[in-house]
Amino acid sequence: MHSVDSYNPIVITVYFFAVIFVSMFCMNPILLIISLLCAVIYSVIRIKDSYKKHLYCLLLFIIVSIINPLVSHNGKTVLFVLNDSPITLEALAYGVTMAMAIIGVIYWFSLFTNIMTSDKLLYLLGSLSPKLSLIISMGIRYVNLFAQQMKKIKESQTALGLYKGENVVDRVKGNIRVFSILITWALENGITTADSMAARGYGIGKRSHFTVFTFKKKDGIMIGLVTLLLGVTIISVVLGGSSYTFYPAITIASPGIIGSCGYAAYFILSMMLIIIEVEESLKWKYLQSKI
Amino acid sequence: MHIRSKKLRNLIRIITPFVLIPLVAILGTVIFDAKKHIFISLFVAVLSLLVFAAGFERKSTGSRRLVISAVMIALSVAGRMIPVFKPVTAMTIISAVYLGPEAGFLVGSMSALLSNFFFGQGPWTPFQMLGWGLIGFIAGLLSKQLKKSRILLLIYGLVSGITYSFVMDIWTVLWHQGGFTLDLYIASIVTALPHTILYAVSNCVFLWLLAPAFGRKLDRIKIKYGV
Repeated sequence: MHSVDSYNPIVITVYFFAVIFVSMFCMNPILLIISLLCAVIYSVIRIKDSYKKHLYCLLLFIIVSIINPLVSHNGKTVLFVLNDSPITLEALAYGVTMAMAIIGVIYWFSLFTNIMTSDKLLYLLGSLSPKLSLIISMGIRYVNLFAQQMKKIKESQTALGLYKGENVVDRVKGNIRVFSILITWALENGITTADSMAARGYGIGKRSHFTVFTFKKKDGIMIGLVTLLLGVTIISVVLGGSSYTFYPAITIASPGIIGSCGYAAYFILSMMLIIIEVEESLKWKYLQSKI
Repeated sequence: MHIRSKKLRNLIRIITPFVLIPLVAILGTVIFDAKKHIFISLFVAVLSLLVFAAGFERKSTGSRRLVISAVMIALSVAGRMIPVFKPVTAMTIISAVYLGPEAGFLVGSMSALLSNFFFGQGPWTPFQMLGWGLIGFIAGLLSKQLKKSRILLLIYGLVSGITYSFVMDIWTVLWHQGGFTLDLYIASIVTALPHTILYAVSNCVFLWLLAPAFGRKLDRIKIKYGV
């Protein structure tokens, strides 16, 4: 159990919404570097054995960075000429920035999927629409159930001697038959489930749902902090404390007080989950050594 | 934090399309670069799904129809696990034709959401949900004609497959470039052409194979239990 998981799902959603919102809407290179770095560090801490994903992201990063200078030839610093078209430093920088935005968002989303397990998502949806969340939980359950039932049908068909095994046409026909049986069974089973639900009084009263999530004091504090930091970042961006241009030449305004505040706020915001994890593990170590 | 009250849900259903979506569109163009269509449209996609979710609760859909929808969703999710074959569109169209537009939207959008639990969620999820959901919704509206003529059903499968691919290509370009350029769009359509053709044709094949069998089974259930 990670300590981040002890927060209410609403808090987690608000947090990820805030972080992803900024890194989607702002093409500011410094903000994007902060976002990408924090996302990568946290996913290394949180999701172990994912070197394949890192490799894939690195590859995507390179491809996305290269495509922009090949398509766009704006900018005044020409690096070299390829097939009579100039490759410019500015277009390359823009491509790299674009890649940082895309890869950063992909990392944040994979973290979000990792933290927001389906029970948390159901809790969130359940407060919006109980019926929809019921359908989703039923769907998830049915995927497994159907796989099991399919196996059972196949075994019983084999026991009846309906499969020769070697003949391809026979096998395809057999699979179609199994699928057809499965559909009939699934529909009938669904009706039985519905009748059973009706017999137990589904749809009569207000729906309640099982939750283990409560809104604690620390959740309130966290939401307040996230909102504050997001507000500071947005105000700083809107006031132009962190302006930048790519074309015709790269310029990044030296951040004044407003700009630095914005960068600092976004840095703290992105580091929040890492800080929580590290603090908790330190606490754990400290308490352990005392005993 | 419970949006169970009817008042709040109705508020969402009124405020979102008439206040929030225009606000997002205007703010998006004024404050941020006009180039960032993608994020604005992403947000709008999520918002319109929210409207639909809030509206769904209002209708007293029978529990039998509800469970049958869940069954269809699970079947199409399970079908998406099989490599190469992607019967989601065909299943969505079939459920829409036999169960109505609302169920069609539900099956399409929820199949996208649920199968992405296995394939990975991302910014593309709302677009897939909206795309498949709309395919189902429109098929449900046309259900009388589609039920009568099998050729029309196949044509609908072909057209919706191609349209879906083209719309998702718009999304690819927007996501990649942050703005829309025709050159890149044409390039992505051309590179995706074999995939699009395979997708559209496999839609037709699935509809050809599955529609009669599923139709018989669903009709049987409807007659037997009166769904």
